[in-house]
Amino acid sequence: MKDFEYLNASSLEIASKYLKKNINSFPYAGGTDLLGLMKDYIVSPDKLVNIKNLQKLNSIYFDEEEGLKIGALTKLRDIEKSDIVGQNYSALKEAVREVATPQLRNIGTIGGNICQRPRCFYFRGNYDCIRKGGDTCYALTGNNKYHCITGGDPCYIVHPSDTAVALLALNAKFKIFSNGKEKIIPAGKFFLLPEEDESKENILNRGEILTEIIIPPLDVNVKSSYIKIKERGTWDFALVSISAVLKLNKNIVETGQIAFGGVAPIPWIDNSLNQKLSGFMLNEDNINKLSSLAFSNADPLEMNSYKVIMTKNLIKKIFYQYL
Amino acid sequence: MAIKKSKSIFEGEIVEKIGEVSDEKYQLLPENEELLYIGKEINRYDGYEKVSGRAKYTFDIKLPNMVYAKIIRSTFPNALIESIDSSKVKETKGVIEVLTFENTKDINWFSNKSKLFDNHVRYEGDEIACVAAKSERILNEAIRKIKVKYNELGFSTSAEESLGSNAFQIYDSGNIHKGKPDIYERGNIDDAFNSADVIVEGKYSTQVVIHNPTEVHCSVVYWENDKLIIYDSTQGVFEVRKRVAEALAIPPENVRVIKKYMGGGFGSKLEAGKYTVMAALISKKINRPVRIALDRKEMNLAVGNRPDSIQKLKIGFKKDGTILALSHDAKASVGAYPSGGGCSWPLRTIYKCENVKTTDYSAITNTGPIRPFRAPGHVQGIFALEAIIDEAAEKIGMDPLEFRLINYAEKDQVWGAEYTSKLLREAYAKGSEAIMWNRRNKLPGSGKGHIKTGLGMASQIWWGGGGPPAHANIEITKEGKITVYSGTQDLGTGTYTIISQVAAEILEVDIKQIKVVIGDTEITPLGPSSGGSTTAPSIAPAVRDAAEKMKSKLISSAAAIMNVDENKLLYSRGKVTEINGNMVLTINEIIAEINEPKLITKGSREENLKGYITQSFGAQFAEVEVDTLTGYIKVKKIVAAHDIGRTLNRKTLENQFHGGIIQGLGFALMEERLVDSDYGKVLNTNMHDYKMPTMADIPEIEVIIVSKNDPKANNMGVKGIGEPAIIPTAGAIANAVYNAIGVRVKSLPLTPDRVLNALYAS
Repeated sequence: MKDFEYLNASSLEIASKYLKKNINSFPYAGGTDLLGLMKDYIVSPDKLVNIKNLQKLNSIYFDEEEGLKIGALTKLRDIEKSDIVGQNYSALKEAVREVATPQLRNIGTIGGNICQRPRCFYFRGNYDCIRKGGDTCYALTGNNKYHCITGGDPCYIVHPSDTAVALLALNAKFKIFSNGKEKIIPAGKFFLLPEEDESKENILNRGEILTEIIIPPLDVNVKSSYIKIKERGTWDFALVSISAVLKLNKNIVETGQIAFGGVAPIPWIDNSLNQKLSGFMLNEDNINKLSSLAFSNADPLEMNSYKVIMTKNLIKKIFYQYL
Repeated sequence: MAIKKSKSIFEGEIVEKIGEVSDEKYQLLPENEELLYIGKEINRYDGYEKVSGRAKYTFDIKLPNMVYAKIIRSTFPNALIESIDSSKVKETKGVIEVLTFENTKDINWFSNKSKLFDNHVRYEGDEIACVAAKSERILNEAIRKIKVKYNELGFSTSAEESLGSNAFQIYDSGNIHKGKPDIYERGNIDDAFNSADVIVEGKYSTQVVIHNPTEVHCSVVYWENDKLIIYDSTQGVFEVRKRVAEALAIPPENVRVIKKYMGGGFGSKLEAGKYTVMAALISKKINRPVRIALDRKEMNLAVGNRPDSIQKLKIGFKKDGTILALSHDAKASVGAYPSGGGCSWPLRTIYKCENVKTTDYSAITNTGPIRPFRAPGHVQGIFALEAIIDEAAEKIGMDPLEFRLINYAEKDQVWGAEYTSKLLREAYAKGSEAIMWNRRNKLPGSGKGHIKTGLGMASQIWWGGGGPPAHANIEITKEGKITVYSGTQDLGTGTYTIISQVAAEILEVDIKQIKVVIGDTEITPLGPSSGGSTTAPSIAPAVRDAAEKMKSKLISSAAAIMNVDENKLLYSRGKVTEINGNMVLTINEIIAEINEPKLITKGSREENLKGYITQSFGAQFAEVEVDTLTGYIKVKKIVAAHDIGRTLNRKTLENQFHGGIIQGLGFALMEERLVDSDYGKVLNTNMHDYKMPTMADIPEIEVIIVSKNDPKANNMGVKGIGEPAIIPTAGAIANAVYNAIGVRVKSLPLTPDRVLNALYAS
């Protein structure tokens, strides 16, 4: 990788200001994604700003009024081990457990997991692709087995984060430090489709830092879960993943929200599907019907029509758990 | 000892070699139960060194004043280089030397069809330049500054493209390796198919997979005047010596190749690499030691792979299951500078059948060259053959195991030779019992629920008999130190350990007394390259020969010391004893008395028995679980039942099986080199995107050895085991998946997309 300057930020303000001022500078936390990008020369920062020492951003806090607050620098492994998370937000725990390997979870942070860059071969390889400022998406005509089945035009990546899918289903909000102030936005407004901006995956501008994840409290009768399909037992990104958060009254879903990973350039919500969940009665016929109607507008590429089948089947799989 | 021209088989080729062979006939060694070391769970000779981190692999060697070298590789799949501007590379602070075709004399490579630095680059990853610098970090930055002007040519990345009428001809001799397909024929298949009651046909395909040994290809080289010393991560120290000497036009005696510890090769390190020669050239030029180590991307591009295959099989048989005819048409993409190829050997050999025809097309492509990869040809060949055998059995409603037994071959099908031993029937019996074969779905896919289980099996045949020339010397010094020297090498398989076991067993001494020196062309007698599962069956008998001769030498020494007739003396447990029990001398006492600094004996492998062929056999049984909603396959259990002659070490044997089965599982389920055919570039060149099995993927593995000994194979009764372990795994898994879901996925790897597509196509 290219030589770079390394700075330790002593406060969020200093880090943010510095990052804003210096064009080719990057915040550095766990580094599990950034170092890979640098080694592959996808990014070659002049300056890295280490934010790992900002202790305030490394915490898990829960109260019944406000819900769960996770500092963006919290290690994935700490979230995985947290009883609070396990007892109240099993979807998040299950998603965290699916990230990479224990070694990577020991160093990777939740903020970094949400903000990681896509794994597309062409983005990570020596191709002047549209996401890197070129004018074509190589996946469209190339190997698109792992690419998106919806929301792609003009770049067909999938968003790689497991945790973001669960957080989206859990109606999480993200706190962002921006120009000396904090703002809070829903997870659903954080990610960007390529049609909005093909060069980045989320709304963060230079100097803005994701600082906290806030998940509202859940009623006692809410069940949440996350299922991820990959090509091997561990250390693999999702072919397709699903997270469902369902408020159950016996076999009736009072309200529910489902989110998907591996299907779109952002963690994906299908509003028409979620609307059908209020009052949904859980039985095999209903589930199969719900599944068959989902993703009817999907537009798979040459090599990934299997993802449509897999996504529909994951809807079945996640609901079958509650039969 | 005598010089003889003797025959052995290396990966299907009958090899005749003239060399020294042992003509001693030894008594049959007792069964393992009665032995001290052989067959036992003996810890690795080098285990402590390795787990404590003390073992120095080639990769770890650092010499004073050493520089680092790295290769600059083509970024295009097929191009003529018009010019190379390396000025910016040379100007980089810390860069010491840059070699290109412009400043290096021509050195022939690839059977004189190419050069060390060729101005025609034929795949993404082909060598263009070699740079030396003070540090690896400087190198990695510097090599990015090269400016190469390419004249891009048309290219093919697959056999189908390469053999097409519009394909660019990669060599003047055309795109078919060796100019024509490899055709084998016996009997008359047309007549036989005509007389068959049932004919089944099928088309199967397999993917390119990469060796990816733990230790990357690397060499550390330096010159002492005219003598070149090479530390190399290689499967053949003598092969590297020969090839590098040839390339540099110096006598082989002036090259010393050393390899002590190694992190695997799987066939990708059988040949000398260009990188070694380049390092030697730079070292000569700057008179400093040079270390060259490939990175993981280079490992995935440029040092070999198992070729893909498209196989069309046809089987004709009688209603009672007797096979009448078999045919096999295969195409493989063998890359730009191939070595080996073909996948029809299992079909030619494993089942009794008089009428067989096989046609193998090895198509040269603009992709990384193929290299032998753990049972080359057999892994992909068995997958297809064992699938169609299952299909044939199903067609007549027969248990697939019974179908195989009906067509059991009692003798070799190709050369008509007798087997030194064959216990495949026993392997079928023990393996099917262990997996509880009767649990399999009588109607494939009939299990309830969306998670379905299934059982499947596949058979294995391989050569692995070894042969001469292969030597081992034993030396006992005045201090009583016993050292075995042999020019073989340990790839991580346990060669050090088995040599110490054989020496300790025959000399009847404590195994801790045995020192083993291997992998050094200067101080060891010739040993064969470690490939084809021939190391143990070639070297173990030579070690026995040397040890038996040492016993005789100790007896004659003792006879001289005691002034008694040799016939009155016996050797037992490190002592020579007079039959009447009067006098006893220990090894140390004998050595102390004689006027020689040390006792040395030379042992050699005996010739293979004429009219016989040594093959190993086995069968693996798989139990799988398939989620029909997601296409995800979980392998629950593999039972491996094999006939491998005598077991030398139960621990290293199990290691070999576990390694082979895990590698076979990777081939069956996930490993696949992906190439963008529009650009001719490999898409997955790191260990994350090129998916190998993780601990989470590894099933329960049960290893059953059905053989005790193969006395006709060699004086130790040993057959090779490295390759047999991987051969049937993918076939067994694929057949189990069919048994689970009732739909046959004919294309590997069995990733969720392929399984789902197959399930939903029907």
